[in-house]
Amino acid sequence: MKLLWYQALTCCGNTHSFLSLEKSLWVLDEYDVIFHPAFSISHVLDDTLKDILKGSLSLDVLVLEGALDGRHRETFKLLAERSKCIVAVGNCAVYGNIPALKNKEVCGVLYRFKERSNVIEDENKVINLTGCPANPEWICGTLMAVRKDMNLKLDQYRRPLIYYSDFVHWGCMRNEYFEWKVEAKGFGSKVGCLFYLQGCRGPMTHASCNRYLWNGVNSKTRAGTPCFGCTELDFPREGLFETKTYMGIPVDLPIGVSKRAYILMSGIAKTFTPERLKDEGS
Amino acid sequence: MRVVKESLLTRIEGSASINLQIEGGKVIDAKVCVHDYRGIEKVLIGRPYMDALVINPRVCGICGHAHLRATVEAIEDALKVKHTKKAKIIRDITNISEILQNHVKWFYLYLMPDFVTKKKELSPFYEPFKGVKWRKAIEFSNLFVTMNALFSGQWPHSSYMVPGGVTCHVDEHTLIRAAEILNKAKSYICILDEDIENFKDLCFEFGLENIGNSYTHFLANCKVCYEEKQDTVKPDLIEERDDYSFQSKNPLAYSWALTVRYMGLPYQVGPIARAVKQKDRKVMSLFKVYKDSFMVRVLARLYEIHSLIEKLDQLLIQLEIHLNKPSWLRGKVKDLSGVGYALVEAARGTLLHKVWIKKGTIRDYKIITPSAWNLGPRCKNYIGVAEKAMLSAKDEWSAQLILRSFDVCSVCTTH
Repeated sequence: MKLLWYQALTCCGNTHSFLSLEKSLWVLDEYDVIFHPAFSISHVLDDTLKDILKGSLSLDVLVLEGALDGRHRETFKLLAERSKCIVAVGNCAVYGNIPALKNKEVCGVLYRFKERSNVIEDENKVINLTGCPANPEWICGTLMAVRKDMNLKLDQYRRPLIYYSDFVHWGCMRNEYFEWKVEAKGFGSKVGCLFYLQGCRGPMTHASCNRYLWNGVNSKTRAGTPCFGCTELDFPREGLFETKTYMGIPVDLPIGVSKRAYILMSGIAKTFTPERLKDEGS
Repeated sequence: MRVVKESLLTRIEGSASINLQIEGGKVIDAKVCVHDYRGIEKVLIGRPYMDALVINPRVCGICGHAHLRATVEAIEDALKVKHTKKAKIIRDITNISEILQNHVKWFYLYLMPDFVTKKKELSPFYEPFKGVKWRKAIEFSNLFVTMNALFSGQWPHSSYMVPGGVTCHVDEHTLIRAAEILNKAKSYICILDEDIENFKDLCFEFGLENIGNSYTHFLANCKVCYEEKQDTVKPDLIEERDDYSFQSKNPLAYSWALTVRYMGLPYQVGPIARAVKQKDRKVMSLFKVYKDSFMVRVLARLYEIHSLIEKLDQLLIQLEIHLNKPSWLRGKVKDLSGVGYALVEAARGTLLHKVWIKKGTIRDYKIITPSAWNLGPRCKNYIGVAEKAMLSAKDEWSAQLILRSFDVCSVCTTH
């Protein structure tokens, strides 16, 4: 299967995320990689484009890394038309992300944040891997699933459910503190939940960072850093280290939890918090 | 006859091209053009200052951690917050492990394939995807990535440094894991040493030992790597100019990058600058003969792998001593306003961040990256550092190699 990796407005973070697992070597072996800007010996993109225009070449998988501006959009469209499957890797390729914040021309393949961008017409061949960057396991896993013709089920943003139906909250080591409403007093400690004060988006963010660990070893919340919701279309929100509250209640509640349920549960949890959770030192 | 050659490069971070004018078997002019511009500094203005800890690492996928460190230390400087000694040790560990993964990948994935095009016998070792050493390099560099993530949570794009310290909790198990990874990394050094020798032979074979020289004003701020007590670089003397940048209105502009000058002069940054400033024995003996040639610039980066691995060993010992000390302390901030800067050594050289905060909000932000020093365009008085280095090239191939010896990162150059 022929794969071409195209970079647009990017920090190259998804290439490095992909490489950070050794199984990336296996993925590269399984494909016929026509071009990758960071690996290929020379710039064969122009030749590839000529072949594609002539109709003598078609691609099986086109990977897009980075957001599309005017300069990249046209080239990408040409490649996309001749590709069977498009994998948009990272929030820039999917939603436009940081490069799109101050430039209205910049967008992802199907979206510009929550609006549709429709750079290409046929959305059915697109798989979106959100994240800034996408977790290496998701990139390697998705590319292998495509290689093996597995029909991955996708969510409404065309993200594989196997990677995006979890919440970051699932598998977080601080779950018990969340349940009993014990907040982290600051940073540098294993104790306390980061949802209440530090702005953690774990219960609202679709991603499996705590199921498939980063670089095989860790995750943000395990390292004491709040989740910033970097797999969602509103990333980067303002006030990334703050939990916004109204009358003492977080403005954004865990998905599916009503304000009434939250208040009721908090009251009970706070009344019956086990002493061992309160007493642990920092 | 004068020939103009324009070539787009692969095996760099991001997108860049060079424009060469070749006459009589010699490059007589060279321009480095960096294409993509994202405007990260503009995104920061008006946001709470803590947001910079999340946005700024996104400047660069391979040295984002250095941007995180520069951000947090600029904020600490602006708000007069101190971080703990333990946090300093952990920041050094992750800073250095990021530099290490970079150097390994750069040498094997970005530089060595150029020799494959000239010498087919090398392809079983260094050819992209298939080469034995190419593949080993991914394993080797990932050890440092794992080391980084062990403390920082994830790589790329961690935000685990916060004013006052770091967010992670470190215990004996973390230390043992880190020591285990470092031990494994050391087993790759003999392979690296073999390749350093191969590389030297190739330099002499292709006449690369004496070309690629540029300005020998070096700039490095060695607090991180070599325990210098104070900043030796004065940020007030750093000046950005837009003479030939698309960010100006000059019709002759050819790059999105800005030009950086120190006291009006071009300076070279990176591992060679760090080595010369520290009077590194191995690098100095080469420097005396070949100055900052292509070969010496590359070797300085490779020798740095040795010294930084040693440094990691010492840091893990220091961390053990400070294990029960706090990773983070809440600073007493009187006023959430101030101006601060930080100088950090990133893989490619000295990185400057400067922040203006008013009542907790970012008023302005300035990022000057190592690649802007080396790859930025010319100014009215001097041509760029990499541009000057390429003037000694005989052909397109050697000019490209010389440019590559600066470890090209276009995403940082423009950001």
